[in-house]
Amino acid sequence: MSNLILFEDIFVVDKLDPDGKKFDKVTRIEARSQNCDMFMHLDVNTEIYPMHVGDKFTMALAHTLNLDGTPDTGYFNPGRKSLADKYEYVMHGKLYKISDDSSGKGLKAEIYVSYGGLLMLLRGEASHVSHFELDQRLFLLIRKL
Amino acid sequence: MFSDSEIAKAAEVQVYKGVYYDLQSRPIEGGLLDPRMGPPNKSGKCATCDGSFGDCPGHYGYLPLVLPVYNVGYLSTILDILKCICKSCSRILLDDKLAKDYLKKMRAPKTEPLKKAEIMKSVVKKCTAMAGGKAVKCSRCGYLNGTVKKAPKMIGVFHDRSKVNDNSLEELKSAISHTKESKSSINTSSVLNPVKVLSLFKRMTDVDCELLYLSDRPEKFIITNIAVPPTAIRPSVPVDGSQSNENDITERLKRIIQANSSLRQQLVDSNAAFHCLNGWDLLQVDVAQYINSDVRGVPTEMQPARPLSGFLQRLKGKQGRFRGNLSGKRVEFTGRTVISPDPNLKITEVAIPIHMARILSYPERVSSHNIEKLRQCVRNGPSKYPGAVKVRYPDGSARLLIGDYRKRLADELKFGCIVDRHLEDGDIVLFNRQPSLHRMSIMCHRARIMPWRTLRFNESVCNPYNADFDGDEMNMHVPQTEEARTEALMLMGVQNNLCTPKNGEVLVASTQDFLTSSFLITRRDTFYDRATFSLICSYMGDAMDLIDLPTPTLLKPVELWTGKQLFNVLLRPHASVRVYLNLTVKERNYSRKIAKRIGDKEIEVETMCPNDGFVYIRNSELICGQLGKATLGNGNKDGLYSILLRDYNAHAAATCMNRLAKMSARWIGNHGFSIGIDDVQPGKRLNDAKGVTLSGNYKKCDEQIQMFNEGKLQLKPGCDAAQTLEANITEVLNKIRDETGKVCMRELHWRNSPLIMSQCGSKGSAINISQMIACVGQQSVGGRRAPNGFIDRSLPHFHRGSKTPAAKGFVANSFYSGLTATEFFFHTMGGREGLVDTAVKTAETGYMSRRLIKALEDLSIHYDNTCRNASGCIVQFIYGDDGMDPASMEGKSGFPLNFDRLLMKVKATCPPVDQKYLPADAIPQMLEEQVVKHDPDGVCSEAFKKSLKGFLEGQKNELKRVMQLVSNSAQKSEILEDVSHKICGITDRQLEVFIRICIGRYRSKVIEAGTAIGAIGAQSIGEPGTQMTLKTFHFAGVASMRVPRIKEIINAAKKISTPIITAELEFDSNVNVARMVKGRIEKTVLGQVAKSIKIVMTSRLASVVISLDMERILDAQLHIDANVVKESILLTPKLKLKEQHVKVLDVKKLEVVPPADRSRIHFELHSLKNLLPLVVVKGIKTVERVVIAEKKKDNKSLNKEAKKLYQLFVEGMGLQTVMGVEGIDGRKTMSNHVMEMLQILGIEAARSCIINEIAATMASHGMSIDIRHMMLLGDVMTFRGEVLGITRFGIQKMDKSILMLASFEKTGDHLFNASVNGRDDKIEGVTECIIMGIPMQLGTGILKVMQR
Repeated sequence: MSNLILFEDIFVVDKLDPDGKKFDKVTRIEARSQNCDMFMHLDVNTEIYPMHVGDKFTMALAHTLNLDGTPDTGYFNPGRKSLADKYEYVMHGKLYKISDDSSGKGLKAEIYVSYGGLLMLLRGEASHVSHFELDQRLFLLIRKL
Repeated sequence: MFSDSEIAKAAEVQVYKGVYYDLQSRPIEGGLLDPRMGPPNKSGKCATCDGSFGDCPGHYGYLPLVLPVYNVGYLSTILDILKCICKSCSRILLDDKLAKDYLKKMRAPKTEPLKKAEIMKSVVKKCTAMAGGKAVKCSRCGYLNGTVKKAPKMIGVFHDRSKVNDNSLEELKSAISHTKESKSSINTSSVLNPVKVLSLFKRMTDVDCELLYLSDRPEKFIITNIAVPPTAIRPSVPVDGSQSNENDITERLKRIIQANSSLRQQLVDSNAAFHCLNGWDLLQVDVAQYINSDVRGVPTEMQPARPLSGFLQRLKGKQGRFRGNLSGKRVEFTGRTVISPDPNLKITEVAIPIHMARILSYPERVSSHNIEKLRQCVRNGPSKYPGAVKVRYPDGSARLLIGDYRKRLADELKFGCIVDRHLEDGDIVLFNRQPSLHRMSIMCHRARIMPWRTLRFNESVCNPYNADFDGDEMNMHVPQTEEARTEALMLMGVQNNLCTPKNGEVLVASTQDFLTSSFLITRRDTFYDRATFSLICSYMGDAMDLIDLPTPTLLKPVELWTGKQLFNVLLRPHASVRVYLNLTVKERNYSRKIAKRIGDKEIEVETMCPNDGFVYIRNSELICGQLGKATLGNGNKDGLYSILLRDYNAHAAATCMNRLAKMSARWIGNHGFSIGIDDVQPGKRLNDAKGVTLSGNYKKCDEQIQMFNEGKLQLKPGCDAAQTLEANITEVLNKIRDETGKVCMRELHWRNSPLIMSQCGSKGSAINISQMIACVGQQSVGGRRAPNGFIDRSLPHFHRGSKTPAAKGFVANSFYSGLTATEFFFHTMGGREGLVDTAVKTAETGYMSRRLIKALEDLSIHYDNTCRNASGCIVQFIYGDDGMDPASMEGKSGFPLNFDRLLMKVKATCPPVDQKYLPADAIPQMLEEQVVKHDPDGVCSEAFKKSLKGFLEGQKNELKRVMQLVSNSAQKSEILEDVSHKICGITDRQLEVFIRICIGRYRSKVIEAGTAIGAIGAQSIGEPGTQMTLKTFHFAGVASMRVPRIKEIINAAKKISTPIITAELEFDSNVNVARMVKGRIEKTVLGQVAKSIKIVMTSRLASVVISLDMERILDAQLHIDANVVKESILLTPKLKLKEQHVKVLDVKKLEVVPPADRSRIHFELHSLKNLLPLVVVKGIKTVERVVIAEKKKDNKSLNKEAKKLYQLFVEGMGLQTVMGVEGIDGRKTMSNHVMEMLQILGIEAARSCIINEIAATMASHGMSIDIRHMMLLGDVMTFRGEVLGITRFGIQKMDKSILMLASFEKTGDHLFNASVNGRDDKIEGVTECIIMGIPMQLGTGILKVMQR
């Protein structure tokens, strides 16, 4: 199962809408991870999955939702057992950009994922993101702790 | 030209009776409607050829005049000839040697007609100069010739011999001394009557004629026989039986016959002196008006009440033969009606009402494929759709399909027949809206026959036609042959004209509601469930398309799709659609926030923009961004449609537009979008914010006014106190509107309809919203605040001299809150200016476009890449310096490609799977190899290769920088290297593809031979002219102009309204140096530097003593002392002072003693005292003022060099003197005055001045026009070695044919001159070919099939 998940960590919401509220149903959350010291911006549909400052959640990124690791077909079949069962909020999207952030010392990498226009920015040590590829289809899975 | 005998020979009948019909309304023989000149009406027959009204071409008659008269058309030529010949022996007045020289020049085979006309003019000039206002003695016969002039107030020629000093006058005087008349002065100037002139002309030698560039005998310029034109060209229209309406020409002829017979009567009756004949003058006037009815020199009492038009009036003017009938003709198979929108049509379609389709027809040839369809058409007949009008048989006969035999005809229909059937779906029609300003104003659509009565088309095509649906009408034409159809479809099809050749932007693009709905759909918080999403998906293809439903964005807790995913479907509905779109666009609401800095480079947030204003589409997936005008609209080179068009093809772009139109029209119909009063009601916060802004800025204005009243105002450069105050207040007030606009944009709810529309760019701007909700703002009239209509005030509601915002036209209310009476008045003032301006502008720019077209119409690209005119003269060796087609330029400012975008596309579409990344240093090397491989014959220009190299160099450096970071961090370098390659690496495959695409695209963008680039260029410059609103606008105190400025440049005006010299300083970093140089240029008058100018009167002498203010002079570093002042006083001609009158007393004092006698000395002294302060002591007289300006810095030096650089703007003429001023860098100093640049720096400088000035003027109005068009215009204006304006005078000198010139302006003059000079026309230009109705030598007509 671990090979399904490309990245997993526990995040704490620091801020909601750092640039002011712009949209009714979507909130941009600013969160920081506990283990890998990753920084994240994520647009969440807070109408159906509300989030607040201080919320602690675990976030995972995976290739596929199939537990056997077969690649995603693009079809959603609710009946089958899947990775999503363990999580409360699941999005599907595409990794569209990898860039570097040299504000500090050393090579920090940023990965950008778009979930149908809901964006995610994940910044951290390059070694944590080395197995992400451009144009990769990703599932984002969130469960509040 | 015909001589009198030739006319008589050609004529069938002598016309001598000024009558039309007899009592039985039969034409009278020998009358003006003699049946031998052709049948007078449809019922009659020709008495000469026995042809009917339709067959007989008409025959001439002739009308002999009793006495000869001048032909008015040739009057100026006659005058010129008379100036040059001896009035006694008819020989030329030049001596033999000179005449021979001129003849040699005239006969040289290489002499062009233009040059010949010039030589002729110089001959005339020489001859008149020899007369020199006095007399010239004929070298052959010794006769003394006076000067020849056109007789005033009559049609005739004067020969003025009053200054001839031979003794004939004395003889005459003595001869008549005994009579009474001797006391009165004798008028020695005589009218040269036509008889005399005719005899002179008859005696002229052929050689002299040649010298005067006459191709024919000059006696033909004088009329003795009038050719009476056939009745066919002057039809007589019978009105209710006995009466008839005669043509103007016939009536003119009648008058001539009457005048002629009365003159004959006079001759017989009285034996009065020859020139006293009153009747002769009358005849002359009548014959003159027969040719040209508004000829000058007709006595007022002879002018008729109703002007009858002459021959010239038939030809000239917009409705005349040349422009009305020969250059443009009436056509059949056309339709016109009101237009309306229909988003369900494809962009290439036009809906045609059935009513129209039943009238318009297309001749379709019967073949095995269409025989059944055509049989049905024939059966249906002309009144039932789909029917047919006519059947034509191969033997040439034709049957109309009215009657019962239709069925039989249908059954007998055979292959090879032609059926004129009704218009049907898919037929090709041309669609046009006036004014046709550019070639996209007439495009080819496919017909869709629909019910109801309007022509309908997709709103996306509104832009090229500039159409809206407020009652506009449009025209439609149906091409009638297969050739015409194919040519129309290939060249004029909507799909092939998606982008404008003006600058390569797309013109056909989504507008208005399409933008609004796309904007709303792609909002970040629009989510759809499975049902809704599928429904909207089915909107875009009428549920007929195959669609792959994408994986929902939200899988849990509920399955939801976002609006952006709809666009993924729209761009690539199905996996088999191989369109991989890649683009980034910054929309209007992009925040431009800086996310981070790398080194000194600022990286913007880009995709993470909080407003979602950054559009990123990757492999046809909308990653982020709310779509608006920048992406979907027209006028952007990086928009979605332009990229689809460039990367794929016109079809891909068109289908995408169709899908979007359908989807958004249906979506917005369900969603609803309207505007109401609550949309413009300001909230409390908005009102408060507005109040704060208003009161704050009002206070600032009051402060300024107070400072002005106290005289403490800090002056702006080149302005006085009042101007400075105006500028400051205007600036503050304009800011109010912008600020309130911003507040509105911030405070309004996102669902506010006007806000949505302004954000997505479909309609309106922040200012419009602000005007409705918050504050209308400052009203301007002529670029200033409202002027004073009353004494010292704008309206009597205010105090005199009041300069407060409200008193000068500031409207603080909004349209919602309502305007006060005074505000309303000011608002109407501004509104009226706008209306007047548009009305005036259209006529002006229309004429400008016409002139441009006439000057440039025949320029085309040839197969050797040169740009030539119709006669083959080279105007440009390579079009636009690189031979590229401006319509397909992708990059900014006319650069062929946009490398950044292309590399992004290559990286996205060519994934680096199983490929190896290139090390940084291998990139340039690979480039070299690939360039050689893909461009072996060197089509690409050096400039292009260089920029490609520069771009890849940048990529290399970026990669190096990241690799540097990797090597800095000491851990697990392999993984890190891998990541860094993912960040900005490039594989060998990607680089190869990139270079191949670059070179391949470049080669496909080379302009095609035959392109009528002149007409395109003229349209590209003329069309934006019509869009320029408001004539003037003020920019930091310096008035800059729009349309009038373009007109000035194009006309090559000698005197322009704002000549500005841009002068570079030798030391441009120091303000003080700049001030010093400014002092040297700006004119300083004595009054400014003099401490006093006093009248000193002592007992011995009276003088004016000037003492200079040395302190001030030193302050301004002007180097003026008494000697300099003396010099300049002496150089002032008005003062009339000589060396001895001005005395230098010491360095700063001098004395002027006026040269007058004692009695008038007092007046002299006072006038001197008044005049002396105005003497220019230093500086350039022609310069108005000098402004020191900071140079605009380029972005590169922005960060490090904070040092300010200065340059001077010199208002006024005198480039040469300014260049010579110490401290000015003459090599970089330029003027905006084309003619001055020509005079001082030469023709190439003038060319670049024209190009730069047009570009600058257009750019100041935010209009981008490809530089190649302006280059072409500049070259056309300068290619003859002098600057030729695009006016009638300039175009004349551009080596154009007579027919073209005649169809332009001054029709008559050109035609008469051509006949005098015996010009021939090769019919190679555009206008000539149109007039003659033959294909022209450009475009598809550049080629001919060679017959063996």
